[in-house]
Amino acid sequence: MAAAVDQSNYHNLSYLDVDRTAQRVMAPAGLKYWLWVGFCAFLVAVGGSFWARQIYEGLGVTGYGQPTLWAVYITDFVFWVGIAHSGTLISAVLFLFRTRWRTAVYRCAETMTVFAVLTAGLFPIVHLGRPWFFYWLCPYPNERYLQPDFRSPLTWDFFAISTYLTTSTLFLSMGLIPDIANQRDISIGWRKKFYTVLACGWQGTDRQWRNFAMAYLLLAGFATPLVLSVHSVVSWDFATMQTPGMHSTIFAPYFVAGAIFSGCAMVLTLIIPMRKMLHIEDLVTIWHLDSLAKVILLTSLVITYSYSTEAFLVYYAQDPIEMMTFYQRFFGHQGYLFGGMVLCNCLIPLFLFSPSIRTNTIWLFVISIFVNIGMWLERFVLIAGSLSVATIPSQWKFYVPKLTEVMITIASFGWFLMNFSLFTKFLPIVSMTELKEGVGWLRKSARNTYPYGKPS
Amino acid sequence: MSGDVELIGVFADDAQCAHAIEKLHHAPIVEFHTFSPFPSEKMLEAVDEVREWGRSPVRKFVLAGGITGAITALVLTVGTSWEWNLNTGGRPIASITPYIVIIFEMMILFGVLGAVTSFFIKSGLPSFDSATGYRTRFGADRFGLVVRTAESDSAKIESLMREAGAEEVVREAA
Repeated sequence: MAAAVDQSNYHNLSYLDVDRTAQRVMAPAGLKYWLWVGFCAFLVAVGGSFWARQIYEGLGVTGYGQPTLWAVYITDFVFWVGIAHSGTLISAVLFLFRTRWRTAVYRCAETMTVFAVLTAGLFPIVHLGRPWFFYWLCPYPNERYLQPDFRSPLTWDFFAISTYLTTSTLFLSMGLIPDIANQRDISIGWRKKFYTVLACGWQGTDRQWRNFAMAYLLLAGFATPLVLSVHSVVSWDFATMQTPGMHSTIFAPYFVAGAIFSGCAMVLTLIIPMRKMLHIEDLVTIWHLDSLAKVILLTSLVITYSYSTEAFLVYYAQDPIEMMTFYQRFFGHQGYLFGGMVLCNCLIPLFLFSPSIRTNTIWLFVISIFVNIGMWLERFVLIAGSLSVATIPSQWKFYVPKLTEVMITIASFGWFLMNFSLFTKFLPIVSMTELKEGVGWLRKSARNTYPYGKPS
Repeated sequence: MSGDVELIGVFADDAQCAHAIEKLHHAPIVEFHTFSPFPSEKMLEAVDEVREWGRSPVRKFVLAGGITGAITALVLTVGTSWEWNLNTGGRPIASITPYIVIIFEMMILFGVLGAVTSFFIKSGLPSFDSATGYRTRFGADRFGLVVRTAESDSAKIESLMREAGAEEVVREAA
C-alpha cells in the first residue's frame, strides 16, 4: 500500500517547516548511519585491494582476453555515466520547463549525478593495463611529440566527461550556496565555520539573487545540450567501431533515452529509502515519486522501441554477419542476458501504467532495482556480447567475469553510496530555497498525495 | 553621512515587501537593498523597476566564455594536428567534422566557467563582511528591506513600510 503520511501537516507548511525538515536530515548521525558508511567504505577497500592486485599482476587476473577486450569495466563506465544523466535532466531540463515537481528531488538527483560521474571516471583508468599513464589522453606538449587523436571518440569522451563533471559540480555547488548560508546562520561549532567558508558570504541580497537567477538559468541552458551530447559521445565510442552489433546510427538517441531511464530509476532507488529513513515524506511526496515513475515509463517505451528498431534494421539490411551477431545475442550462449534485459527494461516497467503501483513506494522501489539491473545488463550485452561474437567464428570466445571485475564493480556501488550518504549528513540534500519558492505548489502536491482517488 | 539612519523593515510575505519597494519608489527613495530567503520574482521585479538595471551582466561573461572556449578548441585541435601531423590514409590532417565535438564541449565548459565566475564577481562574492541590516531570519522565513535615509525622513519611510505590511521596522545608526 502507499506510504501512509499525515497529510494534515502539509496544508499549513511554512518556510520554517522546510528549514526544520532539512535541519532534521542534517542532524548528527547515529550508530546505524556510521555502520552503513563503514560498510560502504569496507566495500571500497575490498575493491581497492582487488584493483591493486590487478595493477601488480596485470589484466590477466580478469576475464579479459581476445576478442573481448572491453567488458565489465566499460559496462560499468557506461552504466554510471547513464546514471549521472537523469540528474542533469531533472535539475536543468525540468528547470527550463518550470516543472514544479523537480524542486523536492532535484538536489538528490544532482548529487547523484556528481558522484556517479566521479565513479564513472574511475573505470577507464581501472580498465587500463598501465593506469599511471591515463594522463596521456590529455592534450599537452610533451617529449614524445605525440598528441591525442582528436578524431578518436575516446578523446571526445575525455572532453565530454570532464566538461560534464565540471558543469554538474558547478551546477550543484552554485545551487547549494543559499542553502549553505541558511545553515551557517543556524549552526554552531565546527559546522558554523565549515558552512561560513562554503557560503562565501552569501546573504540573499537583491543583487546576489539577480545574478544568481541569471547564472543558474544560463547554466541550465548549457547543461541541457551538454547532457544530450555527453551520452551521445559515449555511444559513439561503440557506434563508430566496425564491430557487428555496435555499428549503428541509432545509438545516440537510444543511449540518451537509456541514460534518463536508468538515472530516474536510480533516483527512485535512492530517494525511497532515504525519505523513509530521514523522515522527509512531507517534502518528497508520493506525487513526486509518481512523476518520476511516469518519466521511467515513458523512457522504457522509448527503449523498447529502440530495441525493436535496432533489430528490425539488422533484419532489413540482411547483412549475414550482423544477422549472426543478433541471432547470438537473442538465442546464443548468453541469450539469457538479453532475455533478462528485455524483462527488466521493457516488460516490468509496464506495471507503471497502473496508478496504484506508481503510488506504492514498495513496488516503485522493486521496479527501480529491476531497471538498474536491466540497464547494466543492456550495456554488458552490447559491449561484451557483441565483442565475444567476432566476425570469424573461430575467434568466438564468450566472456565470463572473474572475481576481480565483480569485486571492483561492487566496490563502485560502495564508493557511490558512501559519498552520497556522507553528503546527506553534511550538506542539504533537499533544496530549501526552491522548496520555499514553490511552497504553494508543495501544499498542492501534499493535497494530491493520493492523486488517483484515494482519500485526501 | 552623519545624521543618517538605516531603517530595516521585516516582512512575512514577499508581496508585501515588493509593495513597500514600490511605495519607496514613488516617495522617491532609491538607496535601499533587500534580503530574501529565495529569489522572489515579485521583489526582483520591483527592485528592477526602481533601479532600471536591465538584464544581468552575467550574460556577457557567458557569451565571452563560450566564444573563447570554441576558439580555444579550434586552435587546439587544428593547430596541434598541423604541428604534430599524422597522415592517416590520406585523410585531411585537420578534419573539422570530428573536431566539432571537442569545440562544442569546450564552448560549454568555458561558458559555464564564465557564468560561475561572473556570478561571483558581480555578486561581490566571496565576502565575509556582513551587509548592513542582515538578520539570520532573512535567510529563513522573512524578507528584509533596508533603507538608508536622513533622520528627518525616517518617520515617513517607517510609516510607508508599516502601511505596506512590515511586521517590524528597526532603526539603526548608519
